[in-house]
Amino acid sequence: MTLKDRGGDAPVLECRSVERRFSGIVALNGIDMCIERGEIFGLVGPNGCGKTTLTNAITGFYPPQRGRILLNGRDITGLAPHYVATLGVARTFQNLALFNGMSVLDNILLGRHIHMKPSVGRTALYWWLARGDETLNRAAVEDVIDFLQLEGVRDELVDGIPIGLKKRVELARALAAEPSFLILDEPMAGMNQEEKEYMARFILDARDERNVTVLLIEHHMDVITGICDRMLALNYGEMIGSGVPADVVADPRVVEAYIGGAHATR
Amino acid sequence: MLFRQAGIFHTDYSADRALFPIPADRWMIGSLLLLALAAPLYMNTLYLSSYLLPWLVWTAGALGLNLILGWAGQFHLGYAAVMGIGAYAAVHASRAGIPWEIAIVLAGITAAVIGSVFAFAALRVKGLYLALSTLALQFVMDWTISHVPAISGGTQATLQAPDIRLLGWAVTSDAGLYYVALVWCVLVTSFMLNLRRTALGRALVAVREKDYAAAVIGVNSFYFKLVAFATSSFIGGVTGAILVGTFYHAVTPEQFSVDVSIQALAMVIVGGLGSIIGSYFGAAFILLMPGVMNSFISWAATKFGFSLGIETLAHLPQAFYGALIIGFLLIEPLGLGKIYNNIRDYLLVWPFGYTKK
Ligand SMILES: Nc1ncnc2c1ncn2[C@@H]1O[C@H](COP(=O)(O)OP(=O)(O)O)[C@@H](O)[C@H]1O
Ligand SMILES: [Mg+2]
Repeated sequence: MTLKDRGGDAPVLECRSVERRFSGIVALNGIDMCIERGEIFGLVGPNGCGKTTLTNAITGFYPPQRGRILLNGRDITGLAPHYVATLGVARTFQNLALFNGMSVLDNILLGRHIHMKPSVGRTALYWWLARGDETLNRAAVEDVIDFLQLEGVRDELVDGIPIGLKKRVELARALAAEPSFLILDEPMAGMNQEEKEYMARFILDARDERNVTVLLIEHHMDVITGICDRMLALNYGEMIGSGVPADVVADPRVVEAYIGGAHATR
Repeated sequence: MLFRQAGIFHTDYSADRALFPIPADRWMIGSLLLLALAAPLYMNTLYLSSYLLPWLVWTAGALGLNLILGWAGQFHLGYAAVMGIGAYAAVHASRAGIPWEIAIVLAGITAAVIGSVFAFAALRVKGLYLALSTLALQFVMDWTISHVPAISGGTQATLQAPDIRLLGWAVTSDAGLYYVALVWCVLVTSFMLNLRRTALGRALVAVREKDYAAAVIGVNSFYFKLVAFATSSFIGGVTGAILVGTFYHAVTPEQFSVDVSIQALAMVIVGGLGSIIGSYFGAAFILLMPGVMNSFISWAATKFGFSLGIETLAHLPQAFYGALIIGFLLIEPLGLGKIYNNIRDYLLVWPFGYTKK
C-alpha cells in the first residue's frame, strides 16, 4: 500500500477547537492540531495538562463537548471507541492495558481483531472455516513479532514479563492492526536509557517501514526533539506552542511551563 | 504417563495451534474416547445410566456456563432456568410431533432467544447487578412455568417426555441414550476447545479482562457479551432438553430450580473458570458429592452417636456448595483444572524438574 492510497491529501488527523471538561475542570480548551501523513508528531506538557485526555477525545472514550475531530478528512467526533479502531486508529496506554492470563502471542493476535471475522459458526467449524484465516493472521503477527524482536517471549504469559517488554508487546498489538494512525501515550515511561533508544528506533522504523503516522506523547523533551517532525505543547489544557521542535522548545512560554512545572520535579 | 515436549517441533502455524500439540495428550484423548465409546460393553447399566450419562450431560451444561462465566467473565445465576426453557421447549415440540433432532435445536434456539433478550436488558448493568438480573431470570422462569398450565402440563406439573427418536429410530436402550449424551458432550467440548484458538474466544477474553482495551482494538464489548449469552444459552437449552430426554424422561419445574443453578455454578467454579478439563472434574465432583457426603454423615452419626433431622440432611449439600464456591474463588479460582495442569506441567519435565518448561 502506498501512502497515497490511505486517504489522499487530507491530513491524517485534524482537531478543530476541541474542548473537554470534567465537571468544572477544563481539561482541554480550544485545541487545534493538524497531523500530516507520515509525520511523527509530538505532544508534550507537564503532568495533568491534558495529553491523555486529548488521546481519549480522539479515540472516542471522552468525546469533546465542543469542536470537531477529523480522521483523513472524515468527521469522527463522538464515534464509539471500537468503531474508531476499525477506521485505522490504534493506540497504546500510558498505564499498560494488556490482557492478563493470555500469552504474548494471543495478545498480539488480538490486535488483528478488526481484520478477522470472529463468529460462533467459524469457531464450531474451525477446521473448515477458521483455520486458513487464523494462519494468515498468525503470519501477519509473526511479522510484527520479528519487527519488534519479541520472539523470545512469544509463548510466555503476558502477566509475567518485565515492564519494558510489556510496553513493546502493547506496541506490537497496536501495530498488528496495521493502523494508519498510531497514538503512543508515554511509551517510554519507566524505561532506562537503552530501552528508550530501542523504542525510539522502533517508532522511526514503524513510520518508515509500516507507513504509520504517529502521535507521540512524551514527557522527555530530548526524545521529542530527537525524533519528531513537528510538535504541540500544552499547559493546563491550553496550547502554548506548536511547530518545529527547535522553535517550540525555545519559546519562552514553553520554557517557563517546563522550568516552573514538571521538568523541575523530574 | 510420560508427557514429553522435547524433540517436538512444529513446522507450520496450524500445527502449532493443533488442539493437542503434544503426542502424549493425543494418545490420552484417543484412548479416553475409545474407552468412552466402548463403555456400554464393559460397564453395567446402572453405572452407565445413573453415573456416566448424567456426568456427560452435566459436563456439557457446565461448559456452556463456563463460556459465559470463565470466558466472557459475566456472572450467571439463572443457568438452570435457561436449561429449563430448553427442556420444556423440546418436550412440547416433540409432543407436538416434531422430530426429536429438530426439537432439540428448537430448544436451543428458544433458550438462546429468551436468554439473550434478557441479557440485552441486563447487560446495561455490570457486575453484581448483572448477576442479580440473571437471578431474576431464574425467578421469572420458575414463576412462569409453575403458573402457566400450558407449559407445566397442569396441576401435577409433571410432563412426560416422549421417547427419543433419531432419524425415525426409537432410542430407548441404555446404550443408545448414553451415546446421545456422549455425542453432545463431545460436540460441546470440541467447540470449547476451538474457542481457545479462534478470534471469537480471544475477543471474549479481551472483554473479560479489560473492556476499554478491548474497545481500542476494535472489539465491541456489548456485541460479544450478547454473543456469549446467546451461545451459552443455546448450549444450556440443548443440554436441558437432552437431560430430560436421556435421564429424567419427564420434566418438572424442580429439575431446573434455583438450587440447580447454584449447583451448575459450583461445577464451573470448583472445576475452574475457563478450564475445559476442569468442567469435567467439577461436574463429577458436584454430582458425586451429595452421595459421598450422605454416607459420610450417616457413618459419622452412628460412630459418634448424633442424629440429624431429614431437613438438615437435605440442605447440607447446598451449604457445602456455597462453602466450596467461596473457598475456590478465594483460594484457587482456576479450580481443579488448575491442579490437574500443575501435575501435568510437573510430569512434562519429570524427572528433570529443575528445567523450566
Ligand atoms: N475521567 C476523568 N474525570 C475527571 N477528571 C479527569 C478525568 N480524566 C482526566 N481528568 C483531568 O483532566 C486533566 C488532564 O489529565 P490528563 O489528560 O490525564 O493529563 P496528562 O495525560 O497530560 O498527564 C487532569 O486535571 C485530570 O485530573
Ligand atoms: Mg497522561
